[in-house]
Amino acid sequence: MSDQILMKGNEAVGEAAIIAGCRHYFAYPITPQNEIPAYMAKRLPEVGGTFLQAESELAAINMVFGASAAGARAMTSSSSPGISLKQEGISYIAGAELPCVIVDMMRGGPGLGNIAGSQSDYFQATRGGGNGDYRVLVIAPASVQELADMTVKAFDLADHYSIPVMILGDGFLGQMSEPFTLPEPSGKTFDKPWALTGAKGRKPNIIASMRLTPEDLLEKHNLELQKTYQEIEANEVMYESYLLDDAEYVIVAYGTSARISRSAIGELRKEGIKVGLFRPLTLWPYPYKELKAVSDRAKKVLTVEMSLGQMVEDVRLAVQNDSKVDFYGRTGGMLPVSEEIIRKVRSYGG
Amino acid sequence: MKTQLQDYKHPEIKPVWCPGCGDYAVLNAVQKALASLEVKPHELGVVSGIGCSGRFSHYFNSYSLHGTHGRALPIATGLKTAREDLTVLVAGGDGDGLAIGGGHIAHAARKNIDLTYIIMDNTIYALTKGQSSPTSHPGAHTKTAPYGVYEDPLNPIAMFLSYDVSFIARTTSLKIKEMEKLLTDAIRHRGFSIVYVMSPCVTHKSLTYDDIKSHVPSLPEGYDPTDKFEAFKYAYKEEMYMGLFYKQEKPTLNERLESIRKEVTGSSYNKGHTMTTSQIMEEYL
Repeated sequence: MSDQILMKGNEAVGEAAIIAGCRHYFAYPITPQNEIPAYMAKRLPEVGGTFLQAESELAAINMVFGASAAGARAMTSSSSPGISLKQEGISYIAGAELPCVIVDMMRGGPGLGNIAGSQSDYFQATRGGGNGDYRVLVIAPASVQELADMTVKAFDLADHYSIPVMILGDGFLGQMSEPFTLPEPSGKTFDKPWALTGAKGRKPNIIASMRLTPEDLLEKHNLELQKTYQEIEANEVMYESYLLDDAEYVIVAYGTSARISRSAIGELRKEGIKVGLFRPLTLWPYPYKELKAVSDRAKKVLTVEMSLGQMVEDVRLAVQNDSKVDFYGRTGGMLPVSEEIIRKVRSYGG
Repeated sequence: MKTQLQDYKHPEIKPVWCPGCGDYAVLNAVQKALASLEVKPHELGVVSGIGCSGRFSHYFNSYSLHGTHGRALPIATGLKTAREDLTVLVAGGDGDGLAIGGGHIAHAARKNIDLTYIIMDNTIYALTKGQSSPTSHPGAHTKTAPYGVYEDPLNPIAMFLSYDVSFIARTTSLKIKEMEKLLTDAIRHRGFSIVYVMSPCVTHKSLTYDDIKSHVPSLPEGYDPTDKFEAFKYAYKEEMYMGLFYKQEKPTLNERLESIRKEVTGSSYNKGHTMTTSQIMEEYL
């Protein structure tokens, strides 16, 4: 086993991005993700890369737009209110069919809210705050190791499908230090014949998200995007099952709340209650089919979130039986408590 | 082989600006300047924002990017850092560049990124059919100022001077030769250059050819474009002076980044600024 190192989640994201070949990173300060720009500011020049502190979140996402158009692996990171500001740029990047990686270490909202970790931007991440028929591939890691591994994977997914990919963590995950093994580069390479690298010997190319004429041009383009999205839904769903084989009760949770749920499950299992965890790792595409199969065998499906109920809407879509679906969540930067989860599951009369 | 004007024109896409629009002259002058500098079309990147000026990037036989409203400068910054070898031109208008995107000029200037920003000012939002812009004349009647514009117009040249933009010129769509010369110098300039063009709108008549003819003296003989205080003086004159206002040499963004990279390349990471977990155990247990 290779030797492990100790890093904060935020720093691990930075190093993993560099391992993935990201040499262009642009960001604006916001807590609780400031260790990412600090790490990149120090590290990127060492590997010949470019870090710019942008004048705003809008500038940062648009710098990503420009670098990605040139064929570079580009990334930005922020936290909830900052991601709100980036939404326009994300929509344009999606419309222009460019790859990029966006990291969101969620904090409490609405508005300025607070700086503690939260999961109340599930809607923002999976439904998009930008305009138009577009999707962002959203990955929600639950440990520092997974943050690092998924950051490397995110760049490959972005390049493969030429879409924005979001790493959705939270303030706790970003601030938490854990030992982990540095991921290996995937070694994959991607042709980018569209890249704005000069038109020698090629037809001129215009990268744009505007499609005015003929009148059905935009619809045709959106249907093309839709095909890509269907391919992603068919091939890229990721989730983890824990003690589900015999489970009568299923807890559904992602990221930090999944870790809390896992310790609650440990306690409940000691009492002989047959409970397990279904943890989506991709939030879009969502593992609807897989969760449906698991929930068909269960008496109750409890969704645990650090919000007042956002992912639970996808759980309802998956389970298709509202009487089975229950919810427990804390909001505003507060964490769900293991004891509360235990009490909930016990109350189902198992 | 020397490039000709025709080499810069998109083979299929023709401009759709209104007949008589000042922007035709700007496009022509830019393409002539590129030909005179022998910038090859395949070594060129053109970025634009949104508005009539946003169409600019579509008319080149090159790789180009039509981006987000007001964000042409950050987009071009990302592009230029990823492809230092490209000549990157940015096009915008008074709305795109000075209202929604106005905040970015100061920061492009601070970095002195090697871009040429061409701003076409017609004192109106023309594509959306005639709303007030940051340079609309006080008292002018627009769709959004039916009783007359009650805000003061910006003084763009004075703004650029206070941001310390390293090349600042103003010209008009009428002075094609002068515009071509200023654009040539601006593209050749190492660093962030702005060529500000008063470009008439024949549809909304917010800025007419007659307006330009009567009010635009050239900067006087012997004017020193390295004298910033003199530049401020002429920026604040009642008449709208034309010519090269200001020019200074300073390191470009890429030169600044490159000097940091040289200093630190291959330095810290694997040499122990991050300890492995077993090293931590040894040290603390």
